[in-house]
Amino acid sequence: MTVKIRFFARFRELLGTDIMTDVVAGMMFSSLITTIAKKNPEGYDAIFDEKGTFREFVILMKNGKRIDIADAAKTPVEDGDEIAVFPPVAGG
Amino acid sequence: MLSERECERYKRQMMLFGDEGQERLKKAHIFIAGAGGLGSPVSLYLAVAGIGTITIADMDEVDRSNLNRQILHFDRDIGRKKTASAEEKLKEINPDITVNAVDMKIEETNAANLVGKADGIVDALDNYPTRYILNDVAIAKKIPLFHGGIRGFYGQVTTIIPGKTPCLKCIFPKAPPKEVFPVVGVTPGIIGILQANEVIKYLLGSGLLLMGRLFIWDGMQAHADEICVERNPACVACGSVVKKKTTAGKRK
Repeated sequence: MTVKIRFFARFRELLGTDIMTDVVAGMMFSSLITTIAKKNPEGYDAIFDEKGTFREFVILMKNGKRIDIADAAKTPVEDGDEIAVFPPVAGG
Repeated sequence: MLSERECERYKRQMMLFGDEGQERLKKAHIFIAGAGGLGSPVSLYLAVAGIGTITIADMDEVDRSNLNRQILHFDRDIGRKKTASAEEKLKEINPDITVNAVDMKIEETNAANLVGKADGIVDALDNYPTRYILNDVAIAKKIPLFHGGIRGFYGQVTTIIPGKTPCLKCIFPKAPPKEVFPVVGVTPGIIGILQANEVIKYLLGSGLLLMGRLFIWDGMQAHADEICVERNPACVACGSVVKKKTTAGKRK
């Protein structure tokens, strides 16, 4: 099955966007993002802390619905999912 | 009543929304938090549109490194208070409006007073802790918060209407770490103008606002995305507002 991952802002600079990837059934949200983010250590560091958990300000969405960071490890991705990962943009 | 001079000044936009619309803008009072990258285009465009009263707050002085984006301030203003520079420019660009410049740090203790009886708050800030303070003020006063944020070539905009849309804490519950962010002036230019556009539509009561919609701009790709954002019923900032509304609705 295939899912699409969209990074925004700083995450997009480091990891690209509109990444189509094949995933195995039952793969959890957090494992998927971890795998993709590991392609660039700086990108990984921007999203995950040293313990490998999502940084608290990271926003995760699955098909337009918010996924709580705490639930990311138990939320499976499904065929055709569109996943958005973004930071709050702070400058002004 | 609009003066003859005002009618002439606003002639081309009154073709869009008439005397009535222009009167609405004239009667309005908008509070702009920040006279920097976003505050510059927001205040300039709201001033020329004829927003009757603009209060603009900032605590900083103009630094040379601000000048690539903060178009309210000129080279000659380096070292001056941003509020003094802002007041001068806004009064010059439109002498028919009232400008209040507040040289003060926005804090939990003074924010509600600073905002006063304004009809809306424009978030032209560069940090989330202060944004959260204004989010609380907007909720308490039931006035809109026009949010904008930028970094590099990226920006985001949304319009928060307490009780109707998610608040800033619903959308961004945790602040990102503070940083000296890279930025090119066009980004706050684009985002600030979108915020000003939202303010004008809100005051006119027409058009479709960015309510429950997070507009995300990628200047490098010249591409805009929109993400649907929802209220968090357990939100620490607005959860009770939502709850009260829901309860009231159920009673009917």
